[in-house]
Amino acid sequence: MNDFDQLLKTLSSIVLQSSPLIIAVCGETITERSGLINLSLDGTMLLAAMTGFAVGLKTNSLILGFLAAALVGMLFALVVAFGSIRLKQSQVAIGFVLTLLGDDLSAFLGQNFSRIPGPFVMKVGIPILKDIPILGSLFFDQDPVVYFAFLLVGLTWWFLFRTQPGLKLRGIGERPEAAFARGVKVNRMRYIYAVVGGGLVGISGAAYSLNVKLGWSEGHTRGLGWIALAIVIFGGWSPIRGAIGALLFGATKALATILQRTFPQVSVVAFNAIPWIMMIAVLLVSTSELTERFINLMPVSWRHPLRRFLRVTAPMALGTPFRED
Amino acid sequence: VAAKIIHIKPLISRIIAALTPVLATLAAFGIFALILMAMGANPIEAYGALVEGAMGSPNAIADTLVKATPLLLIGLGICIAFRGGVTNIGGEGQLIVGALAATLLGLVFPEAPGYVIIPLALLMGFLAGAVWGGIPGVLKAYFNVNEILSTIMMNQIAVQGMNYLLREPMIDPAQLESASRIPQTARLARAFDLPRLVPTRLHLGALLAVIAAVLVFIFLWRTTIGYRIRAVGLNADAARYAGINVKRYMVLSLLLSGAFGGLAGAVQVYGVTHRMFTDGSAAGFTGGAGFNGIVAALFGQLHPIGTIPAAILFGALLVGANKLQRVVQVPSALVTALNGLVVVFVVSSEIWRRRQAKQRQRAEAEDESTMSKEIIGTASPGGKET
Repeated sequence: MNDFDQLLKTLSSIVLQSSPLIIAVCGETITERSGLINLSLDGTMLLAAMTGFAVGLKTNSLILGFLAAALVGMLFALVVAFGSIRLKQSQVAIGFVLTLLGDDLSAFLGQNFSRIPGPFVMKVGIPILKDIPILGSLFFDQDPVVYFAFLLVGLTWWFLFRTQPGLKLRGIGERPEAAFARGVKVNRMRYIYAVVGGGLVGISGAAYSLNVKLGWSEGHTRGLGWIALAIVIFGGWSPIRGAIGALLFGATKALATILQRTFPQVSVVAFNAIPWIMMIAVLLVSTSELTERFINLMPVSWRHPLRRFLRVTAPMALGTPFRED
Repeated sequence: VAAKIIHIKPLISRIIAALTPVLATLAAFGIFALILMAMGANPIEAYGALVEGAMGSPNAIADTLVKATPLLLIGLGICIAFRGGVTNIGGEGQLIVGALAATLLGLVFPEAPGYVIIPLALLMGFLAGAVWGGIPGVLKAYFNVNEILSTIMMNQIAVQGMNYLLREPMIDPAQLESASRIPQTARLARAFDLPRLVPTRLHLGALLAVIAAVLVFIFLWRTTIGYRIRAVGLNADAARYAGINVKRYMVLSLLLSGAFGGLAGAVQVYGVTHRMFTDGSAAGFTGGAGFNGIVAALFGQLHPIGTIPAAILFGALLVGANKLQRVVQVPSALVTALNGLVVVFVVSSEIWRRRQAKQRQRAEAEDESTMSKEIIGTASPGGKET
């Protein structure tokens, strides 16, 4: 019984820990589905985490903190979109430079907010639902940010795959020429979805500093933006798969912590390296031709489900600017 | 006369193009001056301190050049990768593994003569970096793994590897006995220190880096392999039809790119730090050179020769910033923000420059079509393409 409680506690902490990543993955999925890559995630999340915490602390309002963080994310995304669409610049270069800038700026502006206690989101159990055995304590005895993350996954999926604007959004990421011929304002839509996605990435930064990894210190969320970018690929640009990826990533980290306690003789760094090696392995499996060959060795009836499970394909126009003339 | 004017016009626009980063830098300094004034500091005094710190004395100039050396070496690798159409942001990791390999060699053979160990160590660094860059290259070319993400992941793996090696197998025996156990190696034998060029901290590595820049220029623009790398970068499909093994050249670009990162690490250890140490993060050892080198290369317009002044500028900023901070008492992070500001302005000027250059590019399109003809000309008849 005690072991079981312990397990439940670990699992619910995995759900909590993964929630910011889920938000970031949803945001970036929306942006990339429109054909634009916002590579600045790591810097955006750092600056948003710092801003969210600072604003939350100064105004004593969590809502304002999250809003400020979202604004930071929108602003960075706008720069990427403007540079790529209007100025026809390399999205990768702009995103990378913004990554460095966000990191530097967060370190500079956040000096006075470093390592001090501040506001944080309180846990709010959902009545009735939280009393469901197991699932209740995993998903319904959490805080609003976690609920937001899971609602967002559902909403994003519904929007992308079940609505008319979502169809257009996928269209401009797959075949912008065709969408344009049908009267879709490709580049205007890309601006909009870059900003929407960026806002969500910003919120994910604040979800760290105000909820999951409380407070601020230099390099608070460093590296997690890159993880989110990798999970978007693993998720095959689908929010549900992406959320599963984020949860799996959280689970791997938790497992590494447990293993570390079980095998203290193995160096800590071996466990620290696991998530990164795993990310490369995951990208390898989901994008490599080798997997395709492996699938073709399987019985015919297995191939389709296996392919759906293992393989992902990027939006066809991902990373390619579109000229409306 | 008309013919002359036609020749002069592109020349002028080329000069303007080359000057835009400089103008952008000046603009960034202007904005930074406003920030300084807002913080109550005198910008003239501040910039005086910056210049003084970066080149006020032979020692300051030497320090600037020493800081510029790893930026230049990393930047050269970036030039190769970007010209080859692949993105390498794994400079930090490549620098670290290069430094580790070179340090290991020096620690294993402490008694060997310097003239044997130094070249071997640089070679070791070069090779280790090549492996670290080559892995994402193979993953990209043959397994379709996004190289931007894999190089970033390789950075993290390198950092963890460094932390492990410096805390356990490679730790200084003296640290093992003391209670503090600072994660660093023993100091390498003094015989292995890179020779000083003049009686300052300026070491041979700076000269090597400049020679390397010239070699990379010759390699990319005057050899068949370099030509093919650029052809793949310009248009992979055209290169493929011309019989170039695109995958192989992608691997080669990333591999060489990583090799220069590794060389930067070896030079850093043998020329400056003489040992390896870690504070747990990558920047603790590299000082962010792996990332700043990318910026220097972009600043130098991805040209090996252009990267030389760009690296020196960033080296000067890094060195001068220390002095600036001491004199006008501004927080150190503001100084990194100055670097960020310069970067943003340079990139936005690059954006402007490209728009200006667009018409020029149209004119040069004819040259490019000549180039693809040349590519077809160099294709070997038996060249198999996957």
